[in-house]
Amino acid sequence: MAEPSDGLRPRFLLWLSVRFMTLLLQNLVNGLLLGGLYVCIAIGFSLIWGVLNIINLLHGSIIVLGSYIAYYAFTMFGISPFLAPLFVIPMMFAFGYGLQLAVLNRVVDKPVLITLTLTFGLDLILNNFMLAAFTANFRRVVFKDPFETLDLYGVIIPVDRVVAMALALVLTLAFYLLLNSSRIGRAIVAVRNDRDAAVLMGVNVKQIYAVTFGVGAAFAGAAGCLLSVVFPISPMSSGLYLGKAFVICVLGGLGSIGGALIGGLALGVIESMGVMLAGPEHSVLTGFLVLLAVLAIKPTGLAGKRGYE
Amino acid sequence: MTKMTRLLLAATLGAAWVALQQPALAQIKIGAPLPLTGALAPEGLKQREGYDLWAEEVNKAGGIKVGNARQKVEFVYYDYQSGTPRAVQLTEKLISEDKVNFIFAPFGSGATKATSNVSEKYKIPNISSTGSSEQVYDQGFKYLFGTLNSNAVVSKALIAYLKGAAPTVKKVAIYSRNDLFPLALATSLDEAAKANGYTIVYFEKYPLNAADHSAALSDLRARGADWIYVTGYTDDLIRIRKQMVDLKVTAPVVTMLAGPAYPDFVDGLGDVANGVTSVTWWHPELRFKSSDIFANTENYVKLFQAKYNKLPDYAQASSSAAGIVLQMAIEKAGSIDPEKVRDVLASTEFDTFYGPIKFGPTGQNVTADNPIFQIQDKKIVITAPEGVKRGTLQLLK
Amino acid sequence: MLASLAASFPARPLPRIGVGVLIAVALGLLIALPLGLDNYYMRLATTVLMYCVLAWSWNFIGGFVGYPSFGIAAFFGFGAYAGAILLSAKIIPFWLSPILAAAGCFAVAVVIGMPILRLRGHYFAVASLGLGEVFRELAMSWTALTGGGMGINLPPMRPAFGTEAQTFYYAMLILALVTLGTTIVVARSRLGVAFRCIRQNEEAANMIGIDATRSKIIAFAFSAALPGAAGAIYASWVGYIDPSDVFDILNSVKAPVMVLLGGTGTIFGPAIGALIYLVFEEFVTHHLLQFHAGMLGIIIVALVLFMPHGLLETLRRRKQGQA
Repeated sequence: MAEPSDGLRPRFLLWLSVRFMTLLLQNLVNGLLLGGLYVCIAIGFSLIWGVLNIINLLHGSIIVLGSYIAYYAFTMFGISPFLAPLFVIPMMFAFGYGLQLAVLNRVVDKPVLITLTLTFGLDLILNNFMLAAFTANFRRVVFKDPFETLDLYGVIIPVDRVVAMALALVLTLAFYLLLNSSRIGRAIVAVRNDRDAAVLMGVNVKQIYAVTFGVGAAFAGAAGCLLSVVFPISPMSSGLYLGKAFVICVLGGLGSIGGALIGGLALGVIESMGVMLAGPEHSVLTGFLVLLAVLAIKPTGLAGKRGYE
Repeated sequence: MTKMTRLLLAATLGAAWVALQQPALAQIKIGAPLPLTGALAPEGLKQREGYDLWAEEVNKAGGIKVGNARQKVEFVYYDYQSGTPRAVQLTEKLISEDKVNFIFAPFGSGATKATSNVSEKYKIPNISSTGSSEQVYDQGFKYLFGTLNSNAVVSKALIAYLKGAAPTVKKVAIYSRNDLFPLALATSLDEAAKANGYTIVYFEKYPLNAADHSAALSDLRARGADWIYVTGYTDDLIRIRKQMVDLKVTAPVVTMLAGPAYPDFVDGLGDVANGVTSVTWWHPELRFKSSDIFANTENYVKLFQAKYNKLPDYAQASSSAAGIVLQMAIEKAGSIDPEKVRDVLASTEFDTFYGPIKFGPTGQNVTADNPIFQIQDKKIVITAPEGVKRGTLQLLK
Repeated sequence: MLASLAASFPARPLPRIGVGVLIAVALGLLIALPLGLDNYYMRLATTVLMYCVLAWSWNFIGGFVGYPSFGIAAFFGFGAYAGAILLSAKIIPFWLSPILAAAGCFAVAVVIGMPILRLRGHYFAVASLGLGEVFRELAMSWTALTGGGMGINLPPMRPAFGTEAQTFYYAMLILALVTLGTTIVVARSRLGVAFRCIRQNEEAANMIGIDATRSKIIAFAFSAALPGAAGAIYASWVGYIDPSDVFDILNSVKAPVMVLLGGTGTIFGPAIGALIYLVFEEFVTHHLLQFHAGMLGIIIVALVLFMPHGLLETLRRRKQGQA
């Protein structure tokens, strides 16, 4: 039923048209803007995976929780979601820190299956809790004065996405500085690179694990604040965000900010181009196929150095 | 003991037994699997509001008249968590464990189709208040009924209206969610549009869990359509509408189905919702006089507002209407025997607050006159049909 | 604890005659069960058997070989679609559909297994999880074959004897017995030894002459073919399938959870886990309308934290502690 009907121009004719370059550029811009948000979604996930060797299935729900806090801060107190990270980050850090200390540290050395199952269970609890508290109705931040849209020679650029992406990159930079120049950051890197050596150097590993999980959760919450401006909010979105985080980390490679950055931007562009070339119904499939291809050729991801065991 | 006394004794015992059985018969049980949690929870709650209002009014009046007695109505609800297999399981449980007399189908076309297998097997009438796709009803089933009229009728009504109201429109772009109901709507519009001389310049489907539509919308924009037709559920449509505005994708007519009839659409979008046209199955401003317990549409809306403190939309009204047709069929049959009620349902034309309902040969409501509306200044303004018209269509751009 | 998962399969031999009697009684009960149950309980019994199939099949790759697979949903769905498409085209009779679905899944698993079994740990877990997503997207977009989001309605079954519910019960029972039989045979064969060697140390296994790649692929194919057959029976049984139902990610997680629940390292642990899981699913969901998923989460968390060896093993240890 999706056969080209009489008036439907075949795709290749579109490629030859004058508008093709504009469309290509437009999709590149769309892809990069989306990719910026993807980076933000993936960084916390990548950190926890890389340092703790835990696939945090709670990640999507923490993002959504961040979105809800931003949403309620906006509707109740009029605080812009772009400022919400200022208080969401400490809140989510405390949440993640406590969770790791009280629960996850007990199984952190267990096999993949155990940690995965545990975070799956925790995710069911958190998600169901949000569903009961906020319902499945989609909510959206509606600004009184909506953001403008720029029109650069036919390429349309929505300003709210640009701001969200810029903030996402600022957060990423801040995170990079934290890891590389603070004491605690260096301890995290030390634990990631060689846990046993870190222990010998007197690093309290359980403490570092908790801090790492806290930072990962804080980043997820901040991503949620930015996403609340762009996408409607519902507990149902958590699986979607989690899936993206997975794909980005595997695509880009684990354990480095560079990996998440490259993976996120690449996925954004791949999906955008996939829609243009293969049609929207295959866009998710295109993303997965590229991922499988990357895995088959370079199992450590585009920027990865070695696989984590 | 003579033969006579023995006979008398037997008769008395028999009568006593029947009398004792009466209270058990006094309830008519309706089983309704609902998506009370999960992605479809908002829809499930609407269905329940519609059912509850009807049941409350019926029971206030003493119940449904069955022959000379009145029997109260009782709903047995289960949550199928928005998962179709659970809906099927629970339908079977409702029929074989809870011994319900009738089934009201779960939300939407897919789940309705799945559960219709079970109700058909047990020969229990199954009334759907939210399934509108023809593909649900074309299985040759005898016990499945639907109060919403079909997607084809909706699409034809829309085309017929636009031919008059927007004669300049020639090129149509269709963007559909790849899911039974939205896709069926899109395909029926595609067929109706082609049959009426329109050109389809774009027809694409988006996957179920798509959050970002910017790439598809950019492509769509390049096709220069003057009618953009988007199908999906409320959350999809909110996302798509927002991104259309962000990317300056527009056309003289922008139609979205089936979400704008819900208040959530305007609540979620604000001013951005303005200009969107849509078709619905029912609207509180319609005016029907009826022979049911609600007496007319106005009274239904009044009662609904008193109970829930908000206006009903088509989902709740259609759910109440499912109750109404069942009640009218039971009263006409004078029995709650599933087969007799089924025969009355299949052969009668019902006058309801929702409008006239007549089930066609497939079991789907065949009466037509769907209201067409446009969102103007964050309000639903009906632009057709003539009788209930409150404004005229404003072309965009 | 994974290390103990399959290790004790051949251990602790019971007196042979006792086992024989026990098996005969259990089998007799299972065969006679449909006589005493109404349709709803028949549905539950069939579901338990289906869960047993999923749990036991997961055990091949997840338990014996120790690869954390979340690919059950992919092959369950693949089998369901294979069966549904063949049946609705009226090419084959019902009894052939699980067999063909299993064969199809076996072949697909061998082909896909070659690249993804090179991955380990989390990477393998994610790849197997992604497989289900890819299959779902394929089913979604290949509308001509699968009906896309509209799903497939299967022709109603007209069983030659017995009721429809009984037919599906017995079909699932046979499949469960086949799965159990395969488990026992594999556990005691050279292949089983190879599986266990790989779990303990893959490099070492290679060195002592075990073809690790081939063994892994066989294990993966077993845990694909059997859920595939279950999927085909399920499709006929439910009568309507669509991509989001049969490729539900929850099926991939349920299987290992059931194995964990019943206890790893026993043959009947997964079956007991399947039973407990279903009882729980049935009762909690009906009594905790708003928080049943959360309740499931609480149980899973408690299980992992306090009973990491499963219910049976925990009880046994407690008993030994008292003795």
